[in-house]
Amino acid sequence: MKIYIYQLFERFWHWMQVLLIFTLAITGLEIHGTFELFGYRTAVWTHDTASWSLIVLVVFAIFWHFTTGEWRQYKPSMKLLKEQIEYYITGIFKGAEHPTNKLVYNKFNPLQRFTYLGLKILVIPVMGITGLSYMYLNYPNQGFQLAGLDIVAYLHTAGAYILIVFVIAHVYLTTTGHKPLSAIIAMITGWEEVDEKGARAMLADELEVALKITKARLKTDSNKSELLDTALAETEEKLGVKKDEKFRNVVANSGAGYFRINCEGIYEEVNKAWASLYKFNSPEDVIGKHYSLSRSPEEFEELEITFNKVRKGETIPHGEVTRICQDGTVGHHTVTMTPVVQGKKVVGVEGFILDTTARLLAEKELLENKIRLEQILAERDGK
Amino acid sequence: MKQIIYLVLIILFPFSLFAAAQSEEGVDVQSTIKLVNYVKKADRVNRKVVDHSKFSVLKQDFKRPQDVTLACLGCHTERHTEIMANNHWTWTRTEKLNGRGEVTLGKKNILNNFCIGTSSNRETCTRCHIGYGWKDETFDFNEKENIDCLVCHDLSGIYKKESGKAGYPYEGINLNVVAQSVGSPKRENCGICHYWGGGGNNVKHGDLDKAMNDCSREVDVHMGTDGEDMSCIECHITENHNITGKLYALSSENKNRVTCSQCHTDNPHQDDLINKHGLRIACQTCHIPVYAKANSTKMWWDWSSAGRLDEEGNPLHETDADGNHNYMSIKGTFVWDQNVKPEYYWFNGLADHQLITDTISEIPVQMNTLDGAYSDKGANCKTKGCSKIWPVKVHRGKQPYDVINNTLVQVKTYAKNKGEHAYWKDFNWDESIAAGMEYVGLPYSGEYGFVETEMYWPLNHQVSPASQSLTCIDCHTNSTDGRLASLTDFYMPGRDSNAWIDNIGLILIILSFIGVCIHGGLRIIMRKNCLHD
Repeated sequence: MKIYIYQLFERFWHWMQVLLIFTLAITGLEIHGTFELFGYRTAVWTHDTASWSLIVLVVFAIFWHFTTGEWRQYKPSMKLLKEQIEYYITGIFKGAEHPTNKLVYNKFNPLQRFTYLGLKILVIPVMGITGLSYMYLNYPNQGFQLAGLDIVAYLHTAGAYILIVFVIAHVYLTTTGHKPLSAIIAMITGWEEVDEKGARAMLADELEVALKITKARLKTDSNKSELLDTALAETEEKLGVKKDEKFRNVVANSGAGYFRINCEGIYEEVNKAWASLYKFNSPEDVIGKHYSLSRSPEEFEELEITFNKVRKGETIPHGEVTRICQDGTVGHHTVTMTPVVQGKKVVGVEGFILDTTARLLAEKELLENKIRLEQILAERDGK
Repeated sequence: MKQIIYLVLIILFPFSLFAAAQSEEGVDVQSTIKLVNYVKKADRVNRKVVDHSKFSVLKQDFKRPQDVTLACLGCHTERHTEIMANNHWTWTRTEKLNGRGEVTLGKKNILNNFCIGTSSNRETCTRCHIGYGWKDETFDFNEKENIDCLVCHDLSGIYKKESGKAGYPYEGINLNVVAQSVGSPKRENCGICHYWGGGGNNVKHGDLDKAMNDCSREVDVHMGTDGEDMSCIECHITENHNITGKLYALSSENKNRVTCSQCHTDNPHQDDLINKHGLRIACQTCHIPVYAKANSTKMWWDWSSAGRLDEEGNPLHETDADGNHNYMSIKGTFVWDQNVKPEYYWFNGLADHQLITDTISEIPVQMNTLDGAYSDKGANCKTKGCSKIWPVKVHRGKQPYDVINNTLVQVKTYAKNKGEHAYWKDFNWDESIAAGMEYVGLPYSGEYGFVETEMYWPLNHQVSPASQSLTCIDCHTNSTDGRLASLTDFYMPGRDSNAWIDNIGLILIILSFIGVCIHGGLRIIMRKNCLHD
């Protein structure tokens, strides 16, 4: 299975960087006196020029990372860091699976995050600053100048060795993908060969991010989100739910979770679907308990506000929320709440929850088919 | 795809920019060389404005050379005042020694590590004085007829001063021919002293040699008679007999110097990086890759071995394969060298001198300390002057000193006859030193020894054609024969590195390489365990 993981600019940026850093390393070592190759003047000229090219490239890359939000890929994360290290030290030899998956929104494993971030915020800036000082703050006999080249030269040399070591490890680690060459081919074509599990995880991740974005929009927009409405309508359609039917009637064959809470916040009724979404064995385990059990403390506040609004007679449609399951895991679903009225009095709140997993799976399948189709078409066109 | 091509172009833009600047350098050096204040040989107009052979005053029967001088001054009135202010006449100038006060110093009273000093030996040394009759301290520096105009202005080539005659010319020279030939000095006029100082051709400077009267561009790109054929005074511009240029063998202050930039400007190269080098490196450093190109120069003069005579008590002359003296009984042992690579020093234009009254504080004694350091830059320029790296001929030797008083000594070397305590006649150090020190009025303890000395001669002449100048790796190399291998007070790329950083870096690279090999090897060996297909 192939997934499209590196965009055109990223690939261009990466290979341009390869070319320039390689040029800088070779000419830099000649300037350092390690060997003679091009001739000193040519080496200096090439080194200076390539350094300016790299600066231009880095400026473009920074711009790209911020406008696309891709900079988040480099946010350091401790999650699975230990597992990743253990994988490289032992797991890889036993044929263990990668502890992390390469995802469009989370391309890098925690080790990569730390390494790349280190390069970006420490090594590359130090190389740039020392290099520019080397070029421009040495000669003038007026204005600000260096007392001598030694310190900047030492830093610059040390940085160069670190980069060489990085390149060795980096090139080697490209062979640890699905197949030895898949990572390098991916960096050339953009398409990386991954196993089934990796692809699934990637798609789920993609959809999760899409929903998160939707949710964020919903929070900032007091009106109903059209996006979410559309998404829900699609899901409801797939699930065979019609909007004008009563909740209770559709719940049975929809797979959606139904719940009713009284004014004290105690669950009066939940269906089996609800219980299984929250990973309870049966509805009996939930009935009689306070509804705070379904949320993290932060999210509970939000639920309480919604709950109180509904109690006053409002209907709150289609909120996208995160649930805390009985076993502590986290799930995502949409929720719609309406008041339960007896006579003229609100006696409780009822609603249904739609697990977005259903939608995820459906959409994932669609996408997989689409990718396969594209692959087939590409292969046909290639021939 | 189009956007990517645009991006490539933008990112590689510096290359095109730098390459454009670079390509200009390929053009023929001769045609693009940047010059100011200079008329090329091809454009020079040689117009004779005056014909001295037509002046009747120069047709008189000159009894004495002084009569010529008076004839000159008859028309060129007041010129003698200019000459009398010139140190070719005074043999002294009042200048501030670096880090010390003002001293009136010159050939008259300074010591060097060649023939040591002129004081007690005026009669022979003043052969190179532009005057007549300076045989002892009774010489009248205010007597204008004692000025020797001819030694500098004779263009006939027949005028010569005689050895041991206090500046008088040989008897029998036709002074009418000489006087009627006069004009602006040619290189032969300057060369007669500046080539021959120290008792032989190219002994002292190393970059001023009789061969330069007619040499190729390879020997001296400026003076080469197959090239621009420049005379001394094209650079040593002279107005009112103030000759620009001086050398730190005698001078101390940074003034009245001749510079390359007076014609070549401060930015003579197409390559800006090379121009920047000019801020810390004298032009001479790269453009005088070797000196003493046509004839050898003296590198070592050991007075301590002087005085060895043959069986009949006569002085010896021994010559080496090149015909240079390597031993003379009157002077000691010499080492000569040709096509010498200069030594390099930081120099900020200020010099100090070991005066005869100074006690010796370090060995070898520095006869003329050139001040300078890498750190003479930026703000330090204002207080000390900017230092640049200069090529220097270092003349080393051993010369007599007073062991008790711990000072260098004046030696009486010359006399016409034996028995006048002159070393070159009597070969008795004690008596000669005593006579010399008595002449200058300084104490001598009676105990002498020989001390090693060094004298520094910054190089300015025998500039090579551009194609032969030093290139980057002559200095930017970690080889021990790199040109700047001994100038260690600064970090220079290509030469210097931090052993710790280099070793740790190398170890890390090797370790990571080995690590990768082991890791990869293990993966291949244990592939059968792999869960993937």
